[in-house]
Amino acid sequence: MLTPTEVRKQVMDYLEATECTILESSPLHVTVKLSPRADRMLTDRPYYWGFVERTGVDPETLSFSFVFDPQKYDELAAQAAAPAARPRGGASRPAGAGAPPGLAGAADAEAAAEPLGAAQAPGAALPPGVSAAPEDSILARYFGIVPALPRLGPGMIRREDVTYGSKRLRQIWSAARDEGRCLQLFEDPGLRQRTTLFSAAYEPWLAVCYKVEMTCDLKREELHFIAVSLTSGLIVPDFEARLAGKELTPRLPENIHVQPFELGITDGANRLEGYLTSKLALLDYTWAEEARERLGLELSIVDIYYAELLKEPEEEKRLAILEQYNRRRQETSWQYEPQIAVSAVTYGLFHLRST
Amino acid sequence: MTQLFRNSLPQEKVTSAPLLPVPLSFERNWLHDLESRLDKGGPWGDWRLSRLAVQGEQSGLVTSFDELQCMKHLSGLSPLPHQLDTAHKVLFEMSGRAILADEVGLGKTIEAGLVLKEYLVRGLVSKVLILVPASLVLQWVRELNTKFGISAVAQKKAYSWGNDIVVASMDTAKRDPHKEMLLSQEYDMLIIDEAHKLKNKKSTNYLFVQQLRKKYCLLLTATPVQNDLGELFNLITLLKPGQLGNQGDFATNFVVDKRQPKNEGKLRGELSKVMIRNRRGEGPVNFTKRKVRNIPLTLSAEEKALYDGVTAFVKEQYQEAGGNLSSMLSLVTLQREVCSSRDAVFVTLVNLIKKLPADSPKRERMMGLLQTIRTVKTNTKAEKTMELIREMNEKVIVFTEYRATQEYLLQYFREHGLQCVTYSGGMNRGKKDWMMDLFRGRAQVMIATEAGGEGINLQFCHHMINFDLPWNPMRVEQRIGRVHRLGQENDVVIYNLSTEGTIEEHILHLLHEKINMFEMVIGGLDVILERFEQKGSLEKSLYKIVLEAGSDEELRSGLDTIGDSLSELTHAKLDDSGVPK
Repeated sequence: MLTPTEVRKQVMDYLEATECTILESSPLHVTVKLSPRADRMLTDRPYYWGFVERTGVDPETLSFSFVFDPQKYDELAAQAAAPAARPRGGASRPAGAGAPPGLAGAADAEAAAEPLGAAQAPGAALPPGVSAAPEDSILARYFGIVPALPRLGPGMIRREDVTYGSKRLRQIWSAARDEGRCLQLFEDPGLRQRTTLFSAAYEPWLAVCYKVEMTCDLKREELHFIAVSLTSGLIVPDFEARLAGKELTPRLPENIHVQPFELGITDGANRLEGYLTSKLALLDYTWAEEARERLGLELSIVDIYYAELLKEPEEEKRLAILEQYNRRRQETSWQYEPQIAVSAVTYGLFHLRST
Repeated sequence: MTQLFRNSLPQEKVTSAPLLPVPLSFERNWLHDLESRLDKGGPWGDWRLSRLAVQGEQSGLVTSFDELQCMKHLSGLSPLPHQLDTAHKVLFEMSGRAILADEVGLGKTIEAGLVLKEYLVRGLVSKVLILVPASLVLQWVRELNTKFGISAVAQKKAYSWGNDIVVASMDTAKRDPHKEMLLSQEYDMLIIDEAHKLKNKKSTNYLFVQQLRKKYCLLLTATPVQNDLGELFNLITLLKPGQLGNQGDFATNFVVDKRQPKNEGKLRGELSKVMIRNRRGEGPVNFTKRKVRNIPLTLSAEEKALYDGVTAFVKEQYQEAGGNLSSMLSLVTLQREVCSSRDAVFVTLVNLIKKLPADSPKRERMMGLLQTIRTVKTNTKAEKTMELIREMNEKVIVFTEYRATQEYLLQYFREHGLQCVTYSGGMNRGKKDWMMDLFRGRAQVMIATEAGGEGINLQFCHHMINFDLPWNPMRVEQRIGRVHRLGQENDVVIYNLSTEGTIEEHILHLLHEKINMFEMVIGGLDVILERFEQKGSLEKSLYKIVLEAGSDEELRSGLDTIGDSLSELTHAKLDDSGVPK
C-alpha cells in the first residue's frame, strides 16, 4: 500500500523519465502534457499513432490532471469555489433566470478567474470524472462499461484520480517495466577520469531482479535482486545496496575499459539460478506440506466418491464417469499442488568500477 | 500486479530441482532477450523506469500466504464486515471453491468480487468466466469495472471469449458453437450467479458446468434449498464431488424425507465447509425499516357497478363450466383487473369476445359489460396515487400487474405534469437500463409491471406504491426487494391501495395480517411458500376460493383458512443453514 505522497513520487518519476511537460503541479495533483513516448504507452490510441507514423504529421499528445489525494483536492477546490458561488446564492433564484445580467456575469467572471474552482463546480453534483461518464454513454449501455475515452482537442484536460490500486498506476508500472526491463549501464566516473591518464578498469556484472512465486491454492512472493560478476564469478545477493550512491549512465564513459568476460551470459545465468535455488532451499516449506495434505484429503474424497460410481456396469456410462473422474483429479492437483516459479522483472549488464 | 506466470492445468510431470521439496521452474526468456540486444547493440532500457518497475512489483508483492491483499487495491469500496469475513473464509478455509448463499440483498456480488479481486491481485487467477442470467450481464460488468477495477467484458460476439475476464449469459454459453469453445478452455476461476438453476443434475446447465475445466469456483444463490435436499446435494457435488459422499450415503446419513434432514448438526458441519450463508437480521447489517400504509378507497358508483357486473359474470361462467378451474383463469384475471383500471378490463374483455363464436350467447353479456365500462369516467385509485405522489414529492415506484393500467397511468401522470418512465418485462436489456438511468436522473415516477426478479436496484428511491397486488407473496417480496436492500439509507414506505368491498381488500388482509409479509425482514418466505405449495399452488387455491364462494362470508372464511396455515408455517422457525427444520 502506498500513500498518496508515494504514489505521486512514482508517477512523477515516470513522467520525468519519459520527458513529459509538467504544466502545473502541487502536492495533491499534477497537470501534464504527455510526451509522444508516454502517450503511446498510456493512452491506448494505436490507430492515432499509426496515422501519425504513416502521414508524418506532428503528433498532438493528450494532457491529464492526475489527482493523488482526491478527497483533499476536492475540499480545496470546494473552498476555492465557495466565494464564487456566493453571489448566485444571494440572488436566491436560478442563475440566469431573470437575475440582473451584471450580477450573473460577475459571478461567472469570478469563477473563471479561479480555474480550479471553475473546473470543479459541476463536479460537486456528480461523482468526479471517470465514474460518472461510463453510465451515460450509449455504448456503455450496450457493453456495460466502456473505457473512458480521452476527450480530444487542444485545451481539453481530463481529470483522473490516481491512487494505489487504480488502473492508471498499474498501467504506469507496466509501461515502466516494458521500457526499463533490459539494461546496459555504466558507472559514471564523474570528473575523476577526465583528469587522470590511466584508463579505469570496469567489472561487468550480470544482474537480475527475480520474482519468486510460491504457489499452491494460495500464494506468497519474494523479490531477489542478485548479480554475478562475469570476471570473478562472485555473487552479490543484495545488488541494490551495491549500486546505492553510484551514478549510472547508459553511455560508455571516457577513458575507461571493460575487463574481458571470463563467464558467458548463460554461465552467469546458471550461477544466479543455482545460487537462488540454494537460497530458496533454506526456506520453511510447511506451507507446501500443508498444501499437499489438503490435496491428499481432497483427492481421497474424489477417489472414494468415484470408486462407487465406477462400478457402473454399462460400459459407455462407465467411460463417461471415468473421464469425469480424471478431470476432477486433474483439477484438484491444479488447485493445490505446491510449486515455485521464478521469473525476471528486470535484468541487464552493469559495468562498475573495479575495486 | 503484473502477471508473470500463470500455472496451468498440469499435463505432465514437471522436472523438479533436487534441492527443494517443491517443483521449481525458472522462466528464461529474459536471457534470449538480453543476448539478442547485446548482438544488436540495443535498444537499452531506461534505468529510472527500471527502478520504477521494481518498486511497482515491490509494492504489490504478496508477502503473506494468509492475509487479504485486495483491500489495499480497492479505494472506492468499503465492504461490510460479513462480506470481508466471507471473502476470507472462501480463500483461506475453502481454498476457493464455495457456494455463497447469502439471503437476498446482502451483497453476494460484492463478496464474489472481493474473492475474484484477491485472486487476481495474487496472480493466481487470470482467465475468468462469469455466467449469469442475461438480464444481469451488464450489471456484473459494470460493478466489476467501477467497484473493483476489474476489466471484465460482456460477451457479445464470438471473439469476446478471447478476453481474460468474460461475463456471459448461461443460456448463450451452454449452446453450440460457444459450448465447444468454452469446454476446450481452462478457467482459473468460474463464477455462476443464480446457481439454484443448477439443482437438477440431468439438466443441460448442470452437465455443461460439470464439464467446464475450472480451478476455483463460486456458486451464488439466495435459495440453496428450494424443494428438496437432493438439490442441495447436487449443487455441492457439482462444486466438490464427494464432499457429501454418494447420493446413497447422503440419503442414509442426512435425509428423513426429502424435505426433512436428520443429523442436522453434522449436516450443518459438512455444509459449512463448502457453503456460506449470511442472513438478514444477523450480525451488524442493519436494514432500514419498512413502513406499510394501507390506503382503503371507496369506488365511485360507476366503478362499483362495473365491479359487480364483472363479478357476477365470472361466477355465472364458473358455475356453467361445472367448476372446471383451468378454463377459468382468464375470467379470474378479469375480476382482478377490474380492481386495477377499466383499461385493463377492457383489453381482456375484447380479447375474450374475439375468441367467441359469432353466435355465442355469452357475446351479448360481454358486450353489456363493455357498455358498463364506458360509463366509468374516473379512476379513484389513479386520483389517490396522484395525490400521494404530490404529497411525498420524492421519487417513487408504482407497481401494477397490467400493461393496460401501466399505459393508462403513464398518460394520466403526464397529463398532470409528472415526469415518469415505464419499466416492463418485454423491454430489451438496453432499454431497461436506459429507463433505470432516466429514473435515477430526471423522472420522478417509475411505473413498473414487473419487479424484474433479478437485477433492478433502486436504492435511491424509498417510496413504493402497490397500485394493485400480485396474489403470489413471492412477487410482492420481489417488488419490495427492489428498493429495500443493502445501500438503502431511508426507511422504505410501502403504500398499498385497496378498494373496499372488493376481492382486493381480502387479499391485502391475507398478505398483511396473516403472513405479515410487508414488514417481514427476516427472509425465508421462499421456504414457507415451497412448503405450503406442496399441496398445490397458492395462487390456484386462491382462485378456487374466489370462484366458489357464494357470499362474502364464505370468501372470508376460505381465505382465513389459507392464511392460518401460512402463518403456522411462518412461525415454524428456520434454522441457520437454510435447511428447513
